[in-house]
Amino acid sequence: MDLTALPLAEVTDEGVKGAGKAIALGVGAGLGSIGAGIGVGFIFGKEIESVARQPEMKSELESIRWLGFALTEAVAFYTFIFGLIAFFLS
Amino acid sequence: MEQATAQAPSGAPKRDGMSTKAKFFIGLGIYVAIAILLLLIFGSDGKNEEFKPQNEFKLEPWISIHLGSLDLSVNKAVLYLFLASLATIFTMVWIARRMHQKPNRVQTAVEVAYDLTKNTITGGSLSGELARKWFPFIAALFFWIWFSNMLGFLPLPTNTEHTFSIGGLEIPSFAIYAATANIAIPLVLTLVVWLSYHVEGIRSKGLFPYFKSWLPPGLENMSAVGKGAIFVIEVISHFVRLISLSVRLFANILAGHLLLLFMGGGLAVLLGIAALGALTFPLAFLFFIFEVGLVATLQAFIFSTLSAIYIGGATSATH
Repeated sequence: MDLTALPLAEVTDEGVKGAGKAIALGVGAGLGSIGAGIGVGFIFGKEIESVARQPEMKSELESIRWLGFALTEAVAFYTFIFGLIAFFLS
Repeated sequence: MEQATAQAPSGAPKRDGMSTKAKFFIGLGIYVAIAILLLLIFGSDGKNEEFKPQNEFKLEPWISIHLGSLDLSVNKAVLYLFLASLATIFTMVWIARRMHQKPNRVQTAVEVAYDLTKNTITGGSLSGELARKWFPFIAALFFWIWFSNMLGFLPLPTNTEHTFSIGGLEIPSFAIYAATANIAIPLVLTLVVWLSYHVEGIRSKGLFPYFKSWLPPGLENMSAVGKGAIFVIEVISHFVRLISLSVRLFANILAGHLLLLFMGGGLAVLLGIAALGALTFPLAFLFFIFEVGLVATLQAFIFSTLSAIYIGGATSATH
């Protein structure tokens, strides 16, 4: 398929380009944060639940909790960084 | 809140007047009203085209060194690299030289960190001879990344693009930057970890048994095609580790610095709305505390823990 036939492929207007970049940053970082937010909430919620059930496991769960937190939280930053790349570097 | 006051043992008289919630909303309202007032007074100067936030992370060559097409110029990332290395070496050697039976505060802190790297990070995934062998590497990773992240929140005179003068002496502006906020450095660390866990796996199992051990257990009855497909997925997952491990550290530190830059006034300058600065400046403090208190340590912890997990996974018998 010839992509240049599509009107989208031929945007030369600076304003439209800027708007597209802004949408990329806003939607990318925003939607990415939703997922990571749910994930981080889940980890801490489950950890509270497990400590409530078995308080003697608290010290062992602590390092696992931070591991899970950092792994999940990083997802928000991936989208943020790619949004910034789209906004500033393209 | 009401329950808490009702259960107070001393029977303190309940303060009449506003609840905490009302106070909070009134405070928030005043805060927003001040910002709106400032906006009305100072107005907007329009979008600032000259300020380029990405230049905060641009590496200006200080001492130009070019070997053919290879650019080995000394810039601020190199400075931060050396500072972090010096801080790591100096702290550890200094503490090791003057160990006291009755530890002072610094020694206690370093001992806690040493214990964390030895028992939690290394001991959590490796054991016995392997733990003894890889502990120095993993601990060095942890301490180096930690010092590098922490130095990143210390304003140092590194911004040579903008200078100010004290008594005729041109001093570069104070700026924050971290060696780990540059993708090259986490990527090199990741490559070292990646290569070393493969080498360790091959050394402990042999070349072909190591690659065979990538297949998860329970596939004995599968056809060769199915096994091949799963092997391809495992190969991809090993290469994705390269990206995830390096980008996680880089993105966390870079995003932290960018948030500090934007909240500490960058956004107000960029958009030309001075009143926005009043709104975002307190947030900069909160983010600073969050970054210094949690993210800097947590990312060092994650990087070294995952390195230990990868080495442990490459050498363990089951997977």
